[in-house]
Amino acid sequence: MLKIKNLKATINEKLILKGLDLEIKPGEVHAIMGPNGSGKSTLANVLSGKNGYEIEGEINFDGMNLNDLKIEERAQKGIFLAFQYPLEIPGVNTNIFLKTSLNSVRKARGEKELDTLTFLKLIKEKAKELNIDEKFLSRQLNVGFSGGEKKKNEILQMKLLEPKFSILDETDSGLDIDALRIVADGVNSYKNKENSFLIITHYQRLLDYIKPDYIHVLSAGKIIKTGNADLGKQLEETGYTNLS
Amino acid sequence: MNQSYDFSIEKIKNLSLKEKILRQKNLDLFYESGFPDKRVEDWKFTDLSLILNKNFENISNDINFEPNKELETIKNFEHNYIFLTNGKMISTNFEHEEKSKILIKDYNRLETTNIDPLNTLELLNNALSLGGFSLEIIKNYKLKKPLVVYNYFSVGLKNKILNNKNSIKLNEGSELILIDYNEDNTQDNFIKNTIDIVSLDKNASLKNILIQNSKCNGHFYKYIKSSLEGSSSYENYILSSGLKLNKIEIETNLNKDNCSCSIYSALNLLEDQHQEIKTRINHNSPNCKSYQKIKNVLDDKSKGVYQGKIFVEKVAQKTDAYQLSKALILSDEAEFDAKPELEIYADDVKCSHGSTSGSIDSDAVHYLMTRGIPKKEAVKLLINGFLNEVLETIANKDLKIFLEKVLERQINGY
Repeated sequence: MLKIKNLKATINEKLILKGLDLEIKPGEVHAIMGPNGSGKSTLANVLSGKNGYEIEGEINFDGMNLNDLKIEERAQKGIFLAFQYPLEIPGVNTNIFLKTSLNSVRKARGEKELDTLTFLKLIKEKAKELNIDEKFLSRQLNVGFSGGEKKKNEILQMKLLEPKFSILDETDSGLDIDALRIVADGVNSYKNKENSFLIITHYQRLLDYIKPDYIHVLSAGKIIKTGNADLGKQLEETGYTNLS
Repeated sequence: MNQSYDFSIEKIKNLSLKEKILRQKNLDLFYESGFPDKRVEDWKFTDLSLILNKNFENISNDINFEPNKELETIKNFEHNYIFLTNGKMISTNFEHEEKSKILIKDYNRLETTNIDPLNTLELLNNALSLGGFSLEIIKNYKLKKPLVVYNYFSVGLKNKILNNKNSIKLNEGSELILIDYNEDNTQDNFIKNTIDIVSLDKNASLKNILIQNSKCNGHFYKYIKSSLEGSSSYENYILSSGLKLNKIEIETNLNKDNCSCSIYSALNLLEDQHQEIKTRINHNSPNCKSYQKIKNVLDDKSKGVYQGKIFVEKVAQKTDAYQLSKALILSDEAEFDAKPELEIYADDVKCSHGSTSGSIDSDAVHYLMTRGIPKKEAVKLLINGFLNEVLETIANKDLKIFLEKVLERQINGY
């Protein structure tokens, strides 16, 4: 699914990722943990195609060179990034945004675009699963939403676009226990043998709900340790400083 | 004067001698200074003389009134209509209304000289006007459906000038939604010079909506002079994207207590289009409100201008006046000029103004693109969000949906 080899990323002449290797197979859930400033969000940004980074190394997604794909093409081919800080976009109605997004992706995948009625039926169903109040959908995108509502909105978009590979960038931050459970249930219900996840987090908390197959520790732009789900619990006790 | 004109009052049919003399007087006065240029403060950002010199040769006023296509009324939107060709009334239809409550006739041309001229374009209009409509709504009658004024044009308008005048009078307690709907599919460059006289009696309410429904090489000037009596309400919406040149001047006189006036504008300017909105709100009486929100999106080499003046008389205590202009500039070659002015003689008022311009939020574009939306579409979504805000306060659902569609078409560049 995703194969990263010796990835280096520089922004504003500062080298952030310093030779990162990672392979994620279909159906796997990987978590990346690491101290502040280790490059976790940079990795998410680079995978989503954000401008401003100088990139060296190889990122292969489903047989394609990711660097050749435009931002929207990555989404259309099945990469999804749930943002750490979802943007508030005044004036843009949430429903219209979601419909435009879904239809852009469907069009690129050669599927029929949905008309308004079919779309509204679908989005209502998906919103209900995540316990999102319908009235949020007719409001301006993320404007005045609480932190938890914004994060739920990200997961809603994930479930709507049905990506093969989802990156959750600190989706747990700013969530209360109930919202965390809803978000985790949303992810778990979407998990299957085909779909893979990369979960970026500071805390073990989310990993109690979404069980990862692998946990990687990112430090100073490199993965310094990889283990199974138990590594998270160990880190919770010992912190990053004691890792050799 | 570099520009050569071929203006002739003789070409206008059925004029009395008295009328001919009055018109000639106006034309002579016009010739003294010609079209306004940037030396005139009001025309500082829109040098009309220069623009016309560049785009026109030997402007003349002889025209016919054959529309270049059959009237096609707007579908799926119940409305009454007045049909104009080159500014002259051709037909009317008030099928949704009680006919006795509506008085409609050709504009009385002899009234044309009764106003102090605002500028030389008004002199020219007085001299050459071919008519227009005069509409009056009887006391307490509220029109059930909007009234659309279709503006069609004839073929062969190249280098022609059209002058017309309309008057709209709403008697006490009456209500009207008026949609001024411009439809031109010729490629001709012509000039249209229009004066609308609006008068609202006590408790009357008028929504005046200006819509351009096609891309057009026409050069348009419209001057709306309105006067409001006690507790009347006057709202303007300007959706005129698509015109090569457009200047709209709105002068509103709030003459009695508790009147309100608002001006909302949403323009998406492309290529070398140039549009100016100039307003003057005269608060002549206490407890009146005025509200202006002007939004412009500017791409390519387009130019947008907003000159907004709020004038508050000494007696106009408790005035509540607000104006805001916001511009989204998408190209290095586009330009937006704003000149807000407050002139206040009363001491117990609430007046504020603001003006911002900036580029599109690249983080927002990125966010939308990560959801599979191509850049062009993402930018359009953001433009739509930016401009659509001016329609937020419209409570009439059918009207709002209709205007949202108009705006969407304008954002797509027709």
